[in-house]
Amino acid sequence: MLEIHNLHARLADGREILKGIDLKVAEGEVHAIMGPNGSGKSTLAAVLAGREGYVVTEGGVRYLGRDLLAMPADERAREGVFLAFQYPVEIPGVNNTYFLRAAVNAQRRHRGEAELDAGQFLRIVRAKLKLLDIGDDLLQRAVNVGFSGGEKKRNEIFQMAMLEPRLAILDETDSGLDIDALRVVARGVNGLRAPDRAIVMITHYQRLLDYVEPDHVHVLQDGRIVQSGDKGLAAELERTGYGTFDELAGDAA
Amino acid sequence: MSAIVDFPVKPEARPYLDAFEQNPQTEPGPLARHRRRGLARFAETGFPSRKSERWRYLDLQPLAQHPLLPAAAPSAGVLQAAHEHLTGLLLPGKGPRLVLVDGYFAQDLSSLAMPEGVWFGPTSAALAERAELLDELAAEPRGGSEHPFLALNAAFFAGGYVLEIAPGVALDDPIEIIHLGSGARASSFHTRSLIRSGAGSRASVLEVYAGEGRYWRNDFVAIQLADGAELARTAVIEEAAEALHLARIDATLGRAASFAGFALILGGRTVRHEASVAMEGENARCRLDGAFIVTGRDEANIVTTIDHQVPGGQTRELIKGVAAGRGHGAFQGNIIVREDAQKTDAHQLSRNLLIGARAAIDTKPQLEIYADDVKCSHGASIGDLDEAALFYLEARGIPAEEARHMLIDGFLREVVETVDDFATRVHLLRRLAGRLGSLEE
Repeated sequence: MLEIHNLHARLADGREILKGIDLKVAEGEVHAIMGPNGSGKSTLAAVLAGREGYVVTEGGVRYLGRDLLAMPADERAREGVFLAFQYPVEIPGVNNTYFLRAAVNAQRRHRGEAELDAGQFLRIVRAKLKLLDIGDDLLQRAVNVGFSGGEKKRNEIFQMAMLEPRLAILDETDSGLDIDALRVVARGVNGLRAPDRAIVMITHYQRLLDYVEPDHVHVLQDGRIVQSGDKGLAAELERTGYGTFDELAGDAA
Repeated sequence: MSAIVDFPVKPEARPYLDAFEQNPQTEPGPLARHRRRGLARFAETGFPSRKSERWRYLDLQPLAQHPLLPAAAPSAGVLQAAHEHLTGLLLPGKGPRLVLVDGYFAQDLSSLAMPEGVWFGPTSAALAERAELLDELAAEPRGGSEHPFLALNAAFFAGGYVLEIAPGVALDDPIEIIHLGSGARASSFHTRSLIRSGAGSRASVLEVYAGEGRYWRNDFVAIQLADGAELARTAVIEEAAEALHLARIDATLGRAASFAGFALILGGRTVRHEASVAMEGENARCRLDGAFIVTGRDEANIVTTIDHQVPGGQTRELIKGVAAGRGHGAFQGNIIVREDAQKTDAHQLSRNLLIGARAAIDTKPQLEIYADDVKCSHGASIGDLDEAALFYLEARGIPAEEARHMLIDGFLREVVETVDDFATRVHLLRRLAGRLGSLEE
């Protein structure tokens, strides 16, 4: 589903952040990408989602057989790529429900499906809320405005449930959450695992992986994937820290 | 030399003098005298100069070069066509409604039924039936010398409305005034209205300004709130693309009276909305809010003065502007706190979004404070659309243009949502959304 080949990317100021990423993600799989701060985890998520401010200098990304990087961000989203933000953005004056309906309908138009009216949309909202076991208290507020850290992340997962992406990239979705909030979010993610959906979790810590079990774990260090393995790799990291992999990164250079 | 004035006439005023003289004078003496006095003053002053601080942001050259003479009363055919244009401009209910077409009262399009204790009707009827209102209707407004178009308005006003609410009467449904330009002929509409809210009364007025073709609207509304009266007056200005709209409201607030003025400017080539509020009674409260969108080569100018003359007054003012294309928006706000106006609590804020490199915003919030025990603040900001918010919306599949419109709508919605009356608020939000749907950046 997703094939990242020798991906190099730098910031507008010229600093190279991604230095040759190779990664294949198949349908139904859950991948965890782990790494210390500054290793390029969030840059990878941003480049995949189409955020401006990054220049891809080498390599490429294919998604469902298409050139992902050739599509603008909004088209990627309508094609089924979803990014759960590390820092969800507050948008004063834009109602959360209104925003979500616009997003769902943009996707439906893209697929040639009829748009949902307010009633049809609300029925789906209710069903999804029930499925995720979260309340409807966030619906009538402005997007993320005044939400707690936990509420913001819960809102991200709720959006994911509504948009039913083929590829979900969760950028540090566990950061800043207490254990109860983490459980709620993890339950949501587990509920969204599906045979035709791939999930890429980007995280600094092992913690989330205790609740959402990955099929594959990759270690990102200085812009490259320096090791890949099964979930046992995450446990090893927890024990030894990222220090062990500095050596590997050095070798690869 | 003119038969009416015996001093040199400003050249841009000449066509209006000629038009006045061609009109047969059939009105009673006092009104005719008011009209001639207004005309003479306009002839003497002419158009305001851009050197005048209060007019510096508007380009009146096109009007000076191509006079728009007062409109004739609309024909039956024009009124029939106007009926079609009303769709979409009206509130859903069957509340009281007064429609003016080209500045003239349109009886068949209006429904004036009102409960006991309310006088509601066209200015022409008020002048005929209520001679005692003449001075208040025709009198020169405060600071009229800075506003020569009000003098011209006195000379020519044909329509308008009078709303008089007896003490203690509370009206739940908003009262609608629709000002429609038919586009039948390029001309000017001079309207003059009066709202008198009796002590302890409560009402909400929605005025809608719309039309077709090229015209100049010159509108004046005088508002008097007796002690403890509450009045909300909301204006939606969605004039024709080539229209000029120069309007002024003057409000006077008695003790513990509460006034909420709101102006939403969505369309018109040149729009100037001026509001002047005199806080004459102690502990009066004033909310003066507004929002504008300018695109193309549109100009919008909101000019406000709130004059705290006595202790304990409260003012809240929030004006939000969006300028796109080559649009130019300007806000000039002045809050005066006089020596006696201790314990005044006044806050003024101007927030603006600038979209694109060729749009422009000017904002001049101003406080003039002569008392020493007051709580006052003002502020202004001009910014771009939030890039992070745009990306967030796009990352959910919302097309870039729709995302921009959502952010603009959200920005303006915040101030529109302060309108208290539910039906009015819903109407404003719908008109705003419709405007954004056709926004050219």
